Amino acid sequence: MTTLTRQDLNFGQVVADILCEFLEVAIHLILYVREVYPSGIFQKRKKYNVPVQMSCHPELNQYIQDTLHCIKPLIEKNDAEKVVVVIMDKEHHPVERFVFEISQPPLLSISSDTLLSHVEQLLRAFILKISVCDAVLNNNPPECSFTVLVHTRNSAMRNMEKVQVIKDFPWIVADEQEVHMQEPRLIPLKTLTSDIVKMQLYVEERAQKM
Amino acid sequence: MQLLNKMDELYLDNIDEYVNDHDKIVTYKWLSLTLGVHVNTAKQMLYHYLDHKRKESSAQLHATYFVSGKCVDNGHTSHKASVVREEQLEEFKSKMSLIVSVHVYSVQKALLRDSGPLYAVDYDAVKDNLLSCSKYSAIRCSSAVPMSSVERNAQQAPPPPVLEPQQSKKPSTNGDTTSKARPAKSIMGMFAGKAAVAKSQDGGKEVKSEPQEAAAEVDVPKGKASAKFNHMMNFFGNQSMKKQEKPVKEEEEVAVESSLAEPRQLEKVQGEKVTTEPPKYNKKDSRSKTKRLQSSDSEEDKMEKKKRRRIKKPVPDSSEDEDVIPDSPPPVAMRETSPAPTMEPASHPGLSETTKIRKRRRVLKSRTFVDEEDCIVTEKGYESESYSEDESATKQAPTKNQAKTKTSASNEKKSQKKTTENKATKQASIMGFFQKK
Repeated sequence: MTTLTRQDLNFGQVVADILCEFLEVAIHLILYVREVYPSGIFQKRKKYNVPVQMSCHPELNQYIQDTLHCIKPLIEKNDAEKVVVVIMDKEHHPVERFVFEISQPPLLSISSDTLLSHVEQLLRAFILKISVCDAVLNNNPPECSFTVLVHTRNSAMRNMEKVQVIKDFPWIVADEQEVHMQEPRLIPLKTLTSDIVKMQLYVEERAQKM
Repeated sequence: MQLLNKMDELYLDNIDEYVNDHDKIVTYKWLSLTLGVHVNTAKQMLYHYLDHKRKESSAQLHATYFVSGKCVDNGHTSHKASVVREEQLEEFKSKMSLIVSVHVYSVQKALLRDSGPLYAVDYDAVKDNLLSCSKYSAIRCSSAVPMSSVERNAQQAPPPPVLEPQQSKKPSTNGDTTSKARPAKSIMGMFAGKAAVAKSQDGGKEVKSEPQEAAAEVDVPKGKASAKFNHMMNFFGNQSMKKQEKPVKEEEEVAVESSLAEPRQLEKVQGEKVTTEPPKYNKKDSRSKTKRLQSSDSEEDKMEKKKRRRIKKPVPDSSEDEDVIPDSPPPVAMRETSPAPTMEPASHPGLSETTKIRKRRRVLKSRTFVDEEDCIVTEKGYESESYSEDESATKQAPTKNQAKTKTSASNEKKSQKKTTENKATKQASIMGFFQKK
């Protein structure tokens, strides 16, 4: 494996790739664990050497991939502060928000082989934690839907509007209703600290779900 | 119970902390590696803890159990080892004819929807203790000793040829040839494909088969997959199975990538069973596996049919004839046309029409001549067909065909095909198509 330096490769791109892959797996897993979609559409796949549940539904997969494709440039430039997976009930009021807070250290150090396997181990722990998160969360009401929000800078948002990364996949400013929740309960799930990225996952849950 | 002393109460507190405060899934293997105790002690600790907590009825705890024993399935006896949820435990136990072992597999607060996390929990613990992961294990095999470096070097050359036939055969024994071309709906196919690809790595899945998966999927580690293959060979002939077991075993030991000790040991245990028990046992074991294979074979057939159907649809679309309503034609006729849609777009309408219900047939009587530009021009006359019910004016098509044929020498082929097609007009299209070649 080559050692990565800022000059050799676009380090930001590598980190963004890793994070987007992870976010894809995490979103699928959240949809499975929180029963947003029936479990029949999910299939066991392998990621980071452990089994994870991914959906087979092509449109859902495409939607998630397109979403992350648009988020990737933001992560590359370290503009994405938070990526939030919001689960909403029938009336489009959020019941749960899975918040991934991402921050990259400004000075990325030169990595070595062990770093990436260490990151893999940390991401594995994240996956495991999401799998058991329903121990601490209440059940969701039926017929929920989900959406993905990104907290970013104004300048980045303007860029996104100007350059549509994927055609016919526009991003819009989120409503207040989707961003803020009534009486949220904060449940921290996991924290990841490594040389290339710091990530934290917590869940905001509405006290009264039904 | 003998474990009730102060030392063990400390362990109980530890388990309590892991389960309740950290929300961990505590498996017996993880516990044994973390606390440095023998697996049997770990199992007893978990049982004791569960018992204790249930009596207190404090927090809601879920547990999974490991059950292994003999089970009679349609007259075939097989040895089953499964991890089941607590709710399914009694039901599962009642289905078995002889229960060899039952013990607590894991304790956790969350209700697990699938078995993936159980594997993930053990993965890191074993990886950290890779060289000593069998230190606390209860599985022993006296013939399983690490090879010396001399033996290892001697083994370097033979394993690759042994590997390849296995790799090529393994997907077929698992009931699926390639998982690339098809959308992998067959879960067995997914595993077979990945097992073949990740042969050198340990894509080790769950060690035990689990009935709690509704889709009846089986998580099989690499070692077990190769043992399965060996059982298959045994089913068909008692010949070289035992010989193959040994190179497989040794090759696994040579494997560079980290692999879980338990699958290796399991495989060795199975190897032991093979040598000590009569072949009958293995045959029955493999029979239950052939059933699984057969069911995945039938899935494979469904996939093939689906694939054929998919190819059919674009063919009517490529037809230039607007009057023909592209129905979904019967499978046999259209399959043959799919390989060469580009070559003969104009001939397809003829073919497709014969298979339609209305049986309209346009007979292309073509006149071939060379015009001044040295192009072979085909002019098509339009004639009514004997069994056609309608003869609607599709005269637009002949003119289009004319325009097309004035371009290149490939049109020659078209005209030839059309002339041959004319001969077979009165028959069903299949024969006409075959006669072209």
